[in-house]
Amino acid sequence: MALQLKDKDAYQRLNYLYQAAHCVLSQSPENVELARFYCFTQRTIARRLVLRQDPSVKRTLCKKCCSLLIPGVTASTRQRRKNSRTRFTVVRCLSCGQSKTFLNDPDHCLWVDQPEAQLEQQKQPDPGPSIQKQPKNTKPDVSSKPSAAQSTAST
Amino acid sequence: MPVSEALVQAKIPQDLVKDLGVESLSRTHAQAFAQAFLKNSIRQHRHHEMKDMLKRKALILGYARPKKDKSKRNSKKAKGLNARQKRERKIFQIKPEHQRYELFLPLHELWRQYVIDLCGGLKPTSNPQLVQQKLLKADFHGAIITVVRSKCPSYVGTTGILVQEFKHIFKIITKENKLKVIPKRNSVFAVEVNGFVSHIYGSKFEQRASERSAKKFKVRGTIDL
Ligand SMILES: [Zn+2]
Repeated sequence: MALQLKDKDAYQRLNYLYQAAHCVLSQSPENVELARFYCFTQRTIARRLVLRQDPSVKRTLCKKCCSLLIPGVTASTRQRRKNSRTRFTVVRCLSCGQSKTFLNDPDHCLWVDQPEAQLEQQKQPDPGPSIQKQPKNTKPDVSSKPSAAQSTAST
Repeated sequence: MPVSEALVQAKIPQDLVKDLGVESLSRTHAQAFAQAFLKNSIRQHRHHEMKDMLKRKALILGYARPKKDKSKRNSKKAKGLNARQKRERKIFQIKPEHQRYELFLPLHELWRQYVIDLCGGLKPTSNPQLVQQKLLKADFHGAIITVVRSKCPSYVGTTGILVQEFKHIFKIITKENKLKVIPKRNSVFAVEVNGFVSHIYGSKFEQRASERSAKKFKVRGTIDL
């Protein structure tokens, strides 16, 4: 319980820093330095306390210089194609030139949304809403707790 | 304003607002965004580079194309910057044109909400010790701080929004739009939220902003400036 509360404070701090960076950029879009400082602090705190950040947060931070990537302001977003079928979204940091590449895949499912990830944190009280998003055909091979919960919910 | 610029700054039509779930920015925000966007999109240095290259090309005699088979593979992976690169690029230095007090007022407002939320409402009935415990691990970027006591008398009374916290110094921006650097050592700072005033002993705070969240503080120690 106490551990849970302590982490909550830290997560609140991370959240604040992330929002502060957005706030700074919305006030003066060219003040990349301060936004970067807040994101840098955010990253160091997360590293020190070994807190996992959501992919949506990680995708908007530059891995090299820690700036907040906002398309059009601090980053450029382009579509690139490899062959006729596979296309990528390339996000390039305008201050250091580092780029991130994402495969355009509508069926892509993040690890945190997958049933196996829920197994890891069974103790967590509420894995409810994310389970319903999972595709129907994938079945966990072991009789896991989430699937059992689902079956009881359906009957 | 020319007609074309007016077109660029036109409001988003009502039906699109609903469909896309976006809203028009206020005038000043929109202008700031447009300027930054244009500056980032147009590459002025390209022309320069070209001229430079042409000049040099005449000088180099034995020119061989650099091999880029190995380096290209490595370059995709992000490598952090080392300390020297950080210093050279000045990645955390705030430029003078952004050192304006009113630009940081929204940040302060955000900070107030954060602290009130952190302390669970922060009513007058809240336990002061509990609030202090929370503040110890909280983030202070965006707070308005005042130097209450200091060994150096000229610092006393300085007040402003804390913009950056480093290991040994606070960088604050004052109402006169000045960025001031104040050492933590030998000073006492006051932070006010909703009537709660807490004092920070700078000498006990001498660590990076990120290290504080993991550190344990001693309950009672000798405190002298
Ligand atoms: Zn970058």
